[in-house]
Amino acid sequence: MTADRAPSIVAPDLMFHEVSVTYPGRSVPALDRVSLTAAPGQITAVVGPNGSGKSSLVRTLLRRVPVSHGAVRLGGEALTAFTPSEIATRIAIVPQREEPVMPLRVEEFVALGRHAHRSAFGGPQRIDLDAVQHAIDTAGVRNTVGRRTDTLSGGEWQRVRIARALAQAAPVLVLDEPTTFLDIAHEMAVFELLDALALRGHTVLLVSHQLNLVARFATHLVLLSAGTVAAAGTVDAVMRGEILERVYEWPLVVTRDPAVGAPALLPLRGAGRRR
Amino acid sequence: MTHLAVADHANTDQNARLVWGGGLLALALVLLLGLSIGAVSLPFGDVLRAVRGLGDESTMAIVRDLRAPRVLLAALIGAGLAMSGGALQGTLRNPLAEPYLLGVSGGAAVGAVMAMSLGVYQPALVTLSAFVGAAVSTMLVIAIARGVGGSGDTRLLLMAGVVVGAFANAAILVALADAPPERLRGALWWMMGSAADATWPAVARTLAALLILGGLLVWRARELDVLALGDEPAAALGVDVDRAARRIFLIASWLAAATVAAAGLIGFVGLVVPNLARALGARQHRTMLLLSALYGAILLVAADLMARTLRAPADLPLGAVTALVGVPFFLMRLRRLAQ
Amino acid sequence: MLFPHPRWLHRSWCLLLPLVGSLGCTRADTESNAVAQTASPLVADSIATAAPGTDDFGAPVPTDAQFAARVVSLNPAATEVIFAIGADSLLVGRSRWDTFPNEALRVADVGDGIRPNIEAVLAVRPTLVVLYATAENRNAAAAFERAGVRTLALRVDHIAQFHRMVAQLGRALGAEARARIVSDSVQQTLDRVSAVTRNAIRKRVVWPVWESPVMVIGRGSYLDELITIAGGNNAFHDLDAPSPSVSIEEIAKRNPDVVITSAPRAAELAVNAQWRVIPAVRAKQFVVHDPTVTGRPSVVLGMGAVQLARALHPELADQLR
Repeated sequence: MTADRAPSIVAPDLMFHEVSVTYPGRSVPALDRVSLTAAPGQITAVVGPNGSGKSSLVRTLLRRVPVSHGAVRLGGEALTAFTPSEIATRIAIVPQREEPVMPLRVEEFVALGRHAHRSAFGGPQRIDLDAVQHAIDTAGVRNTVGRRTDTLSGGEWQRVRIARALAQAAPVLVLDEPTTFLDIAHEMAVFELLDALALRGHTVLLVSHQLNLVARFATHLVLLSAGTVAAAGTVDAVMRGEILERVYEWPLVVTRDPAVGAPALLPLRGAGRRR
Repeated sequence: MTHLAVADHANTDQNARLVWGGGLLALALVLLLGLSIGAVSLPFGDVLRAVRGLGDESTMAIVRDLRAPRVLLAALIGAGLAMSGGALQGTLRNPLAEPYLLGVSGGAAVGAVMAMSLGVYQPALVTLSAFVGAAVSTMLVIAIARGVGGSGDTRLLLMAGVVVGAFANAAILVALADAPPERLRGALWWMMGSAADATWPAVARTLAALLILGGLLVWRARELDVLALGDEPAAALGVDVDRAARRIFLIASWLAAATVAAAGLIGFVGLVVPNLARALGARQHRTMLLLSALYGAILLVAADLMARTLRAPADLPLGAVTALVGVPFFLMRLRRLAQ
Repeated sequence: MLFPHPRWLHRSWCLLLPLVGSLGCTRADTESNAVAQTASPLVADSIATAAPGTDDFGAPVPTDAQFAARVVSLNPAATEVIFAIGADSLLVGRSRWDTFPNEALRVADVGDGIRPNIEAVLAVRPTLVVLYATAENRNAAAAFERAGVRTLALRVDHIAQFHRMVAQLGRALGAEARARIVSDSVQQTLDRVSAVTRNAIRKRVVWPVWESPVMVIGRGSYLDELITIAGGNNAFHDLDAPSPSVSIEEIAKRNPDVVITSAPRAAELAVNAQWRVIPAVRAKQFVVHDPTVTGRPSVVLGMGAVQLARALHPELADQLR
C-alpha cells in the first residue's frame, strides 16, 4: 500500500445533483437540494449531526426513498437508467444496519456479494470464487471463515459486511457508518483499507460521524445540516470551529494535531468551558 | 451459541450425509408403511407384489387405487407446503410465516363455493376453481398492499391478507348458512384437511404444481438468500426488492393453493418443517427448500398414517393430526427463541 | 341422497364446529335452553326412554286438542302424518321442506324448518307449532312459547319414534282414532315384510350416503331398521351413529354383498377407481332405492320397507306387493 502506486482501476464519479427527499407523511424534507460529488481516487466523507440526512443520502442510492427532485449520476449517466443489478456491479453499498435473521457461514455470506454478477443458472464461476477470497483477505476476516454470522462479534460482523461489499468488485464504494462497534485497531484498519482502495482508483463515499478519523483520511468533506449542505470542500476548509459549532450545536474547539497533520475536533463540556 | 459454532465446523459433511440419507430412508420407510397399513390387513409380501402389479385383484385395488395415491398425495402436499412456508419465511424474514398468510385459504374456499353455486360438481373442475380462487385472492392481497402503501411493507401485506381472508370467510359463512347437514359436515371435514379422496389425477396435478412452482422457488433460491438479508442489504446487492418479493409471494402462495385445492387446509407443516430444516443445518435457501420438501413429505405421510390408524375405522382429519404433532414442536421452538 | 362434493376450506371452522356439531349428530340434545316444564331434559334420539307425555325437547305434549285451532308444522315427517290422520284442515302453515303429500303444497309456506323465521310463523297466528327437534331449534321453541304459542318438538330417527309421533300428533290434534289406524297400518306392512323375508338368506349391505368424507348408514338411523326388516344385514350395524364416517377400505374389509344407492349414483360409483376397490362395486352389485320413498321417515315407512325388500330379494317379489 505505497502512496505512489498508480491507480489500477478507472472509476466513475458519483454525483448527487440537487437531490431532494421527503419521506411520506413528513412536512420537512430529509434532503433539500443536496449536491455533492464523490470523485474517483479519493475518499469523500459526508458528516453531520443525527438527522442531518446522511443516511437518506445513502438510501437514495438504494432506491428505497422517494426522490422528489434532482438526480443521482454515475459517471454522468442518471442512476435511473440502470437496473438494480447493473447498479450493484457499479456501486457497492454497505448500509448502516443489518440484522441477520437467518445466519449463514461467513464465506456464504460474502459470496452473496457476487449475486449481481452471477447468472440465474449454474454455480459460481472461477471469477466469483476468486473475488470472494480476495474480498475476505482484503477485509481481514480470513480468521472468521467457517463460522456462522450469528457467532461473530460486532466488529467481525462489520468487517464481514465490508468483505461482502468488496466481493461486488464495484468501482464505487459507499459505506454508511462502517466503523460502529469497531475498536481503535479495527477502525483504523477499515480507514486504511478505504484509503488503499481510494489510492487504487476507487470512488469512495463514506458517511461517518467519526470526524477526527475522517479528517485524516478524507480528501473531500461535505457537512450536512438539517438536510442541506452546510459546508463542502477540503478538510481544512470545512473543519472550522465556527461552522462545526453552529451545525452540531455544541461548544467545541478545532485544533491541529501535529502527529497526524490533520484538524482534530475537541468537544468541550456543556456547562461553561471548563475542562 | 458457541457450541453450535464448534459443531458447525466439525463433521459438516457427515452431518449433511446423515440428514439427507436419514431423510431419504425415513421417506422410503414411511411410504412403505403407508402402503402396508390400512383397514384391511395385508401381508407385507402381498403389498410389494401388488405394487408390482401381481397378485389378487382386491389386494391390488386396495394398494394401487386407494393407498398409493393417498400416500403419494400426502407426500407431495407435505413437500409443497414446506417449500411454500420456507420461501415465505425467508422473504418475510420471519420464521413464523406460514403458507396461508396471503389469502390462500379464504380464496380457495370462495372459489369452490362459486363452482358449487354454479352447479359444477366434478372434482377436477372444483379443484381448479379452488385454485383459481386462491390465486386471485393472493394477487388481490398484494394489489391492496401495493395500492395502500407499497408491497414491500410486511405489515401492510399481512393486514391485507387478514382483510381479504375475513371477507372470504364471511362470504363462505353466508353460503353455508343454508347448506344441508351433510354438506356442512363435508365442508368441515375438508377444512381440516384430508388425503382420503386422493385420486391418481389429483396426484398428477399436485406433482405438476410442485415441480413447476417448487422448481421455480429452488431455481431462484439465491435471490431468497439475498432477500432474507433485509430490504436495504438486498437492494444494495442488486435485487429489485419489491418486485422480487412479490414474485416469491405469488409463487409460494400458488404452491400452497395447489395443495389446498387437493387436500384442504393442513396447518403447521409449512410453519414447522422449514424451521426443522434450518435446525438440521440448512443455511442457504436452496438446501433449505429441498430439505424442507423431503421432511415435509415424511411428516405428512406419517401424519396421514396416524390419521388412518389412531381411531379406526374413522378417518381423522389430517389438519388435526398435524396440529397435534406441530404444537409441541412449536412450543419447543418458542422456548428456544425466548432464550 | 348422495350429494357430490366440492373441496372447500374455510379457516374459521371454529365457528362452524358448534353448528355442525348440532346438525351432524343426532346425539344428546342436552342443552338446557329448552322449555323446562319437566324435571328431566330429554335425549332426542332415545327411543323407548322418551316418556309418552313429553316431546323431544322435554316439554309436555298436549293431551287434548285445546291448542289445535291453527297448527303450523315445520317438520316434513309431521306434516305427512297430519295429512294421514286427516287433521290437515287445521294446518295454516308449513315449512318449505314439507312437500309431501302433494296437497301439502296448498298450505302456506312460512320458511325454513331449522332456525325458522319466528315472525313469518307468528304472522299466520298459530296456536300450535310442530318443530323438528334439533338443538338448532331450541331458541325457536323458547321464542314461540314466549309469544304464547304452544310447541311440539319431534323427530324420527327410529321407527318407534314414528309411532310416538303419530300418537302424540293424534292426541294434540284430536284425531286419536285415525292416528291409531295409521300407526297400525304402517306397522302391519312392516310386520308383513319381516315375515316374508324372515326365511330368506340375509344379504350383507352397505348404504353410503356421502362421499367426502365417506359416510354410511349406521345403527342410529331408521334405515338400518328398514334394512333388517327388508331381509338384509347392515355391515355397519355395529356403529351406533346414524351416518358414521368410515373409509372405503373399511367397507372393502367388511365386504358387503350389495351396495344400496340411488340409480344415478350407482352408475358413478361403478366407474370410480376408489370405490371399485370394494368387490360388490366391481361386480356391480347395486340395489337401487328410490330416495323419495326411503328418505322419508314417515307414513311411507311401510312402502320403503316393501321397496327395499323387493330390491334385495327380487325372488320374493310377488309375496311383497
